[in-house]
Amino acid sequence: MSAPARAVRGAEQDSCAPGGARYGEVLEFLYREAELLDQCRFGDWVALFTPDVRYLMPVRTTEFRARGEGFQPFAFIDDDIHSLTTRIKRLQTEAAWAETPPSRTRHFLSNVLVEPAPQPHEYAVGANFMVTRTRGDQGYQLFTGRREDVLRRIDSGELRIARRRILVDQTVITGTNLSILF
Amino acid sequence: MLDSPTERTRRAARPRRGTATRLSSGEALQDLVRPEEGIISRRIFADAEIYQLELERIFGRAWFFIGHESEIPRPGDIIARQCGVDPVILVRDAQATVRAFLNSCRHRGMRLCRTDRDHATTLRCPYHGWAYSTTGALLAASSEHHYGPGELDKEHLGLIPVARLGSYRGLVFGSWDPGAPALEEWLGDMRWYMDIIFGRTGEIEFIGVPQVWEVECSWKFATDNFTDNFHVYWAHQSLVELGMLPSDPDFASHGHMVTLPNGHILHFVHGAPGVEAFQGMGLPKVLWPRFAQNLNPAQARIAQEHGYSAGTMWPNFHWLQLVTAGDMRNESVGILNLRLEVPLTPTRTRMYSWFAVDKDAPESYRQSSYQTYVRTFGPAGIFDQDDMENWEECTAAARGPAAKRYSLHHKMGIGRATDPAWPGPGASYADSYGEVTQRAWYAEWLRCMQRGGANVRTRANAHNGGGA
Repeated sequence: MSAPARAVRGAEQDSCAPGGARYGEVLEFLYREAELLDQCRFGDWVALFTPDVRYLMPVRTTEFRARGEGFQPFAFIDDDIHSLTTRIKRLQTEAAWAETPPSRTRHFLSNVLVEPAPQPHEYAVGANFMVTRTRGDQGYQLFTGRREDVLRRIDSGELRIARRRILVDQTVITGTNLSILF
Repeated sequence: MLDSPTERTRRAARPRRGTATRLSSGEALQDLVRPEEGIISRRIFADAEIYQLELERIFGRAWFFIGHESEIPRPGDIIARQCGVDPVILVRDAQATVRAFLNSCRHRGMRLCRTDRDHATTLRCPYHGWAYSTTGALLAASSEHHYGPGELDKEHLGLIPVARLGSYRGLVFGSWDPGAPALEEWLGDMRWYMDIIFGRTGEIEFIGVPQVWEVECSWKFATDNFTDNFHVYWAHQSLVELGMLPSDPDFASHGHMVTLPNGHILHFVHGAPGVEAFQGMGLPKVLWPRFAQNLNPAQARIAQEHGYSAGTMWPNFHWLQLVTAGDMRNESVGILNLRLEVPLTPTRTRMYSWFAVDKDAPESYRQSSYQTYVRTFGPAGIFDQDDMENWEECTAAARGPAAKRYSLHHKMGIGRATDPAWPGPGASYADSYGEVTQRAWYAEWLRCMQRGGANVRTRANAHNGGGA
C-alpha cells in the first residue's frame, strides 16, 4: 500500500480505489467469504483458495519499535492447500471436539484497500479484521489484526485467494486455541 | 557456562508422607489425594486455597524450565520468561555466562525487560533509570547525589538472581529454593532418558520462538494429559476418521511407562507387533547410526526401537516425541515438541510450546518436521486444539461444591507388575496404556504439598494446622 496522494494513476488503479468497480468486486468477494465462515460452510470456503496458496499466521512477539512489528518466521498456522483442506475435513467429521459443537463466529472486516499486484491478474488486498467467537455458554473471545491477501483472477474470471497473511495483534493468544478460521 | 550458587550436596529427597496438611475446611490433603489408590479429588483442580499452597510449596520451591541455551546464543541476548510463576529474564552476559534474574527493578519493582527478547549490554529501568549490567550488578541509580551517605548501597542492590540455576543438555532450569537439591541430583535418572531425547544425534536446538496462549483450565489437567497415551484414540478421533491415526484403539499402547524418583515420568511407544511404525525416534534413517555414537547400548536400543515418547520433568515441563503426518497425504515425519504450563489462576493457564530439531538433521527433514509440527501441535494444531477443549471442560465441571465432594478415576494398571526386561532405570511397566505415571505425578504433588514451609520464611500457611 502506498501513500494516499498520487500524481499519476492508471485506470486499473482508479478501479481499485474505494468507489471503483474493482474495489466493489473485491469487497463483495471478501464479505461473501466471511459469510461462508460465519455459516460454517467450510467446504465452500476452502474452494476459494488457489492450489498454490500459503495461509499463514505468524507468531508475534513484543519488540521495540526499531525492531519492527514483531512478526516472526515461526508461525501459529502455516498451511498449504493440503493442510488447509485437512483442517476443513476434520471440522466436518463431527469428532473435532474443539469445534463440536461449533463455535459461533462473526468476521468483521474494515479499512479495506486494494492495489494491483506486481503479477498480472492479481490484487494486493489489505484489511483490518475483528473476529468474535463464542462457545457453549461462555463469553466472547476476541481476535483482532490485519489481513494481507493476494487475490488472483483465474481463467473463469472469478477471484481466488492465492496468499493470506493473518497478522494478529496478540503475542499471547488468549482465546483457548485457534480452531476457528480467519 | 552457567551462573549458579555453590552446589550443596544433599541427599535425594525420598517420597515420604509429611505432616498432614489440612485445608481451612479441616480436610486433610492426604485424604483428598490418594495416589496409591488412584483417587484424586476434583477439589484440587479449581480451589483457590489449594492454589495458594501450590504457589508456595511447588512454584516457590521446585526446579522449573526457563529456556534453552540456543534461544540466547550471543552475549547480551535476553529473553523474558518465568521461573515457576515469577517473571524472570534469562541473560547471556558479556562472558557468555547464562544468568537468570527476577524481571523486576530493585527500587520500585518495575518490570525491567518489557519486550519478549532484547539484546543489550545494560538494562535500564524505565521508572527511575536504575541501570544494571548483564551480570545483574547495579551500575547507576538516578539522582545519586540526592542520597545521603549509606543511603544507596549499590553493592547489595543487584538484580535478584534465581536462587539455583542449572543446565542439562542445553535446557536451563531454575529454582527459588536456595536449599533445593542440585539439578543433576533432582533430575537423577531422568537424565538417562533426556540423553535419548536431547542427545541421540548430538545436540538439538529450539527453533524460532515459542507459541504462547492461554487456556481456561487448571494447569494440572494439562500436565495429566501429557502422560496419557490412551486419550489419543478418542480425544483425537477426528484424525482417526480422516485416516491420519491408526483405527486400532490400542495403537499407542505398545511400549512402556517409567516412573522415577522426584515425580519424573515418561513413556516410550513402538508400533504394534509386526507393524513397522514408530521407530528410530521418527528421524530419517541416515541419522540412526548416530544413536550408537552418542548413547550407551541400552539407550541406543530404546531410541532405535521407539518413535513416540512423552516425558515430564516434574512438575510442568514436557517433551513430546512423535511421528505423525501434518495432512491427509499421510507422509509421516518425526517432531520434537517441548511444553510448559504456567498457572495464572487456579483455573487459567498460560501454555508454552516450542519446536526443536536435531542440529545435524538434513535441511529437508528440518523443514518437513517444522511444517508437521505447526500443523499438528500448538494452539492451531489439529491434534492439540481438541485437548484444550477437554481441559477447559474438566476444569469447569470441577468448580462447584457438589463436584468437589467426588474424586476422579486414576486406577488403570494399579495392580500391574514392573517389567524387569526394560533396559532402562526406574520402575517400568509394559503396556503404555495405564495411569501409573499420573499416580506417580500426583504422589510427588502430595509430597511437595505436605512438606511444609521449611525454606519459606513467612509462615503464611499457619492456618493449615500442619506444614513445617
